[in-house]
Amino acid sequence: MHESILVYRKHRYLKWALALAVVSALFYMIDSPLGQPNGGTWLGYTLGTISGGLMVWLAWFGVRKRRYGLGNVPLEDWLSAHVYLGIALALIATLHAGFQLGFNIHSALYILMMITIISGLVGLYFYISYPRLLTENRRGLSTEVMLAQIAELDRDLRQIAMTMDDATNAATLKATQDTIIGGSLMQQLRGHDEHCPTTQARLFVEGSDGGPQDAQRRQLLTRLIRKEDLLKRIRRDVQLRCLLKVWLYVHIPFSIAALAALVTHVVTVFYYW
Amino acid sequence: MRSLIRQVTRKSRGGVAVRDEIAEGDIIIAGRGNDCAIRLPDPRVMLHHAEFTMRSGELYVSAAAGADLRINDNLAQIGKLETGSKVRIGPYEIEVQPPESDFDFVVAVELVQALGDDLEKLVARSQIHITRIGLTMRWWVWLLAGAIITGTFLVPFVFNLLVGPPPDKMALSAGKMNYTPSPTSIWTSGSISSAHKFFADSCETCHAAPFVPVQDNACLSCHSAVQNHAQPALFPFADLNKYACQNCHKEHQGNVTIVRSDEAFCADCHKDLGSMSTRTTLDRASDFGKQHPEFRPTVVKDSALHTMDRSRTLNENPPPQENSGLKFPHDKHLRREGVKDPVRGVVNLDCADCHTPNETGETMRAVSFERNCHGCHALKFDSFVPNRELTHGKPEEVFKQVYDVYDALAMRGGYDEPAAPALVRRRPGTPLTPVEKALVTNWAAAKASDVLNGYFGRGLCAECHNILETKGATATNEFGEPTAAPEATSVAAKAGVPVLPAEKTWTVEPPTLTELWMPKAYFTHARHTDVKCTECHAAKTSTSASDVLLPSIAICQSCHGGEKSADRVPSTCVDCHRFHRRDLDPMHPEKAAAHKAADAGVALPQKHPHVAQSAPLPRWETP
Repeated sequence: MHESILVYRKHRYLKWALALAVVSALFYMIDSPLGQPNGGTWLGYTLGTISGGLMVWLAWFGVRKRRYGLGNVPLEDWLSAHVYLGIALALIATLHAGFQLGFNIHSALYILMMITIISGLVGLYFYISYPRLLTENRRGLSTEVMLAQIAELDRDLRQIAMTMDDATNAATLKATQDTIIGGSLMQQLRGHDEHCPTTQARLFVEGSDGGPQDAQRRQLLTRLIRKEDLLKRIRRDVQLRCLLKVWLYVHIPFSIAALAALVTHVVTVFYYW
Repeated sequence: MRSLIRQVTRKSRGGVAVRDEIAEGDIIIAGRGNDCAIRLPDPRVMLHHAEFTMRSGELYVSAAAGADLRINDNLAQIGKLETGSKVRIGPYEIEVQPPESDFDFVVAVELVQALGDDLEKLVARSQIHITRIGLTMRWWVWLLAGAIITGTFLVPFVFNLLVGPPPDKMALSAGKMNYTPSPTSIWTSGSISSAHKFFADSCETCHAAPFVPVQDNACLSCHSAVQNHAQPALFPFADLNKYACQNCHKEHQGNVTIVRSDEAFCADCHKDLGSMSTRTTLDRASDFGKQHPEFRPTVVKDSALHTMDRSRTLNENPPPQENSGLKFPHDKHLRREGVKDPVRGVVNLDCADCHTPNETGETMRAVSFERNCHGCHALKFDSFVPNRELTHGKPEEVFKQVYDVYDALAMRGGYDEPAAPALVRRRPGTPLTPVEKALVTNWAAAKASDVLNGYFGRGLCAECHNILETKGATATNEFGEPTAAPEATSVAAKAGVPVLPAEKTWTVEPPTLTELWMPKAYFTHARHTDVKCTECHAAKTSTSASDVLLPSIAICQSCHGGEKSADRVPSTCVDCHRFHRRDLDPMHPEKAAAHKAADAGVALPQKHPHVAQSAPLPRWETP
């Protein structure tokens, strides 16, 4: 799926975007306007109109993708074009601005737009890399299965520890009752828990001497290690799935904010023509 | 081995549903996998979790590697089963039932522990889905977009309407320095040019009406005196009234000047002006390094008539001649052996001995006789009267002065020149009879004529000046009266002595010094002080004052190239030429007149942006 976005229809939309970018760059190089290149020349207005249109169209993807199955153009086309034309927009809008930045609302629009595009690129990178990592990490198990296995291990752990000494039983009980997966955004993104009760219980059991209960201790340790492995994988799973979505919290609000700034930009530019 | 597997499902409303399956094979596998005879579809069960086998009539169950089993609630890896034995595989209980005919064994499989509390609790305390970051996505969208619209548009717009500067405070006018900032100044599309920065934050100063481009009136309220580029009547295509100021002067381009300096702008017409107008006398110019005509200096054609000529370029043959009415061989004054100075002896003159820059350093002060020539060239005319000098610059007075000198000498006596008559050489103070007086005044007139027309008169002036013949004319003073000693004439007439006519046969051609040979271009010596004079001006080999010692364009081009020159100083048209020519009329005469009238009635404040413009401008003579 991830490959198909980029190579979709033999790079059709890459070619479109490249053509648009190259033509814009050529005009920019040929054009020698009065003063510095800026948005107020005929080329500036043209590139600005293209950029504004692209911004609205790119944002429309959010509407289009919620209407799955509707429309004549498949969503894959939309996504592929969304990616490539979004990247082209970064160049065209930069040419429209004539590489000028200042302390004003026009530059604010540019910065909002660039944040949207860069977050989109980050999202694209995630979408390209992480599904494979997710699959590798899961090793055929779904998140739900991993959770269920952990729950099952918890039950076993409790049962094995029941007849062991108080300290081992307490550590094991803590491991089964207090182990948390994910949590806050930062905990999800971190992908591991340095204070994981399961790890602490495993260390405790490793360091303890089972004595007459050594067989139980080994059973306990085996399960703790298995649980730890499962926890490591599920936390990585949570981390990857979180990353796959977290960029949208930048991409979408900033894209709408950029549209708001686009309205301000267009109105004010002509208000003070 | 043939076995019967009973899948038991307890319904929520009571009752049991049983589904029988028959499995065959030496090994009956229980597990999550589809290929298992005993299918246990639960995540807690491994793919192949346990194997049921018959050994010598006994039923055994064994766990797969890493899997756990409970046989009758005891953890075990392998165990023998009897009727009634219960095997727990994950959440499933498999009970061995009494044997039935045709089957080696019968088991009932039931899910006895649906995904239980452990999983629920684990899920409850874990958050594994990114559902919201502080706020929901929708809230973030509204918040950010709302902040942008409100902060950048609504607030400045409303504030501008409510508390923005009132219209009368916005009007731009010459002399006004305090402008009220507009709340909408964050809408600026870029910094204002340096000259306009003082009202940069007051948007309505120039943007008089919304959604209307800035009108020329905004500019003309201060810059009414800006001149045309060419005479509109002769060159209608260059009539600047057809264009808006901001066609050329783009604001909001940063803290720079908004005067255009790009070569292409000028070259657009001047690369082939001839094709646009038959009236032009200008040659093609598009780049100072590559296409620019040779300099065509404006020289004095006739000093006496004050006529100028701009028809020849420096490289033409014959070259342009400066007929200033003066004679001055630069080579003789600059020769290596030096020149004789009456006081200092032999001296080596340097350019700076005569040519000194003016206050701005731009041009050279005009050479003057008193300052630059008199030191060596004193205008003494008679060794018997060594203290008298001719007055320079006033030829009419000179005639009278010389007559007066000899008349006084003749009256007094004691003039020791051997050729003079005895009456004049007599002992000073000896009284004269009226006839003798008439005779000596006649001598004085004749002597003055001799001197003036001889080497120490005409010859002396002619050393540096052109002499105009005025044969037959009576010398007159500045009031048009005859200068030839009128009293002598009357005295001689009374005494009956024939009067010698005081005939003035020559005069000095009034010289004309050129201040600027190229009045349509700007050049300053001040920025070329590191260059030796002789590197540009071939003064050492110039034998005549008529030589125009301007350097050829090739000399300028040895350092200066066009705008895009890589190996020369990049120089563009406006480095030397002004677009709005000061010698032409204002683009908007009516505005300029109104402005001037308004200025006349108003005392200007100290910092008046218009002062520089209203100061008298040099108006070059156009030939």
